[in-house]
Amino acid sequence: MGVEVDTKEFKLKPMKCEFNFLSKSDGSAILSQGETVTLVSVNGPLDIKMQSQSIEKSTLEVLFCTKGGKPSVADRYKESIIKQTCETAILGSLYPRSGITVTIQELEDYGGLLSCALNCTCLALLNSGLAMRFVFAAVSCAVDELGNIVLEPTQEQATSARALLNFVFESRNKNLLTGFSEGSYSESAYEEALERCRAASDLVFTFYRDIISKYSNVI
Amino acid sequence: MKASVGDVVLPGDYCEEISAVGEKAKVIIGPGLQKEIDHVYVTKAGILKKRNPNTYWVDNYQKRYIPARGENVIGVVVQKAGDIFRVDVGSSITAALSYLSFEGATKKNKPDVQIGDVVYAKMLVASKDMEPELVCVDSHGKKGRMGVLSDGFVFKCSLNLIRKILNPNCPLLESLKNEWPFELAAGMNGRIWIKANTMRETIALGNAILGAEYLSDEEIKSMCTNIATILAGHVS
Repeated sequence: MGVEVDTKEFKLKPMKCEFNFLSKSDGSAILSQGETVTLVSVNGPLDIKMQSQSIEKSTLEVLFCTKGGKPSVADRYKESIIKQTCETAILGSLYPRSGITVTIQELEDYGGLLSCALNCTCLALLNSGLAMRFVFAAVSCAVDELGNIVLEPTQEQATSARALLNFVFESRNKNLLTGFSEGSYSESAYEEALERCRAASDLVFTFYRDIISKYSNVI
Repeated sequence: MKASVGDVVLPGDYCEEISAVGEKAKVIIGPGLQKEIDHVYVTKAGILKKRNPNTYWVDNYQKRYIPARGENVIGVVVQKAGDIFRVDVGSSITAALSYLSFEGATKKNKPDVQIGDVVYAKMLVASKDMEPELVCVDSHGKKGRMGVLSDGFVFKCSLNLIRKILNPNCPLLESLKNEWPFELAAGMNGRIWIKANTMRETIALGNAILGAEYLSDEEIKSMCTNIATILAGHVS
C-alpha cells in the first residue's frame, strides 16, 4: 500500500448511458465505455421454482450473452464474477423466496468488456429500484511490456500487455469487492494498479450520481 | 458519502441528520433507508426527502411493485381457490382476497367475482415473509370505492407516475376532468384503470397520463389543452 495517487491525472474512457432502454423489464441500462457497449436487463423480485427458492434471501441468476450467441466456458466465468459481485451488493434478505434475474448482452467489445458489463449491471440495478448495500464500480488496467500501468487499456494495448487486472470497488469505503487478473506481474505493480484503480473508481461513482440526478428531479 | 435532505443519493450513502434526530425523538424511516449499527444507510437511488415530524424516505424510480400495508392496488383475479381468490397485483407472488372481505358477503351470499375480473382493493397484510392479503371493505365493513371494476381499460406504468398523478399538487387530473368526463382508479402497484364514454376519449386519457411522466406541471397543463383540442376535432 502507500502509493500516493493524484485523482486529477486520470481519464477513463468516455461513458454514455441510457436508462429504461428496454420497456418491459423492471430495470435496464445500456452503457458505452469508449467503444465497448453492453446492455443489461434486471427483473425481480420474481416468482421462481420451489427448488431454487431460499427462505432467507433472494436467488440471483446471471446470464451473459455474447454477440455471437454461442455460450462458452469463458462466459460462465464472467457470469460467476458478476453474480458474486451482485450478491454482495444487493440486499437479498429483503426479498426472501424470490428470484432476481440479471441478463447481460454484449453489443460491442473493444476491450474492457467485463468492467463495462459490471458497471452497466450496477446502473440497471439502480434503475430497477432493488435495495442495495452500496453501488460498485469496476475499473480495468494493464501492465505493459515495460512494467507501466495503463488504465482502461484499448484492445491493442490489452493484447500486447503482460498482465490485465480488473478491480471492483464498493462506494462506502472504497474497499475492494472483486479482483481478477491474468498474466504475470510483480507485487508492487499489483499494488500500484490497485491504488490507481481505486482513485479512478471515483470518476465512475461521480458518473452514477450525475445520471441519477438528471432524471430524479422530474419524476 | 454523507447526504442530507433534498440531495440525490445512491445506495451506500449515509445520513447523519437522521441519526442525530433519532437520539432525541422518534424517527420514521421509510422506503430506501435502512438502519445499521453505526448509521442510517440509503439503499435506493433517488432523492432523500423529509416530512415533519421526522419522517424520512427516498423517492426513487421503480417499476416492480413490492407490497406495502394500507396501499390501494388494482389486481386481476387469476384463480379461485377454496374460500379465497388469488389476485395478480404485479408483485413476486399473487395476493389472497377472501370471499368474505366484500361488502355484505356471507358464507351463503358469495360475491359475484369471476376469473379475469379487475379488482380495486386495499393491502391488509404485506410482509416479506408472507403472502399479501387484500380486502375490498374498510374497517366499517363498507366497500367505499373498492370492489370489482367493470368495463374500462387497464394499463401499466411506473410506480412514480402513480405517486405523481395522485399528488394533490399535480395539475394533470385537475386539467383533464374539466375537458371531458371519465372515471379513473390508480393502484399504487403501477396499474391504472380508466373508463370514458368513447374509445377516442379513453385512448386520449391513457396517452395523457403516460405522457405526463417526465413533464413539469406547466408542461402538463399545456399538454392537456393540446389533447383536448385535438379530441374536440379543431385540429386533425
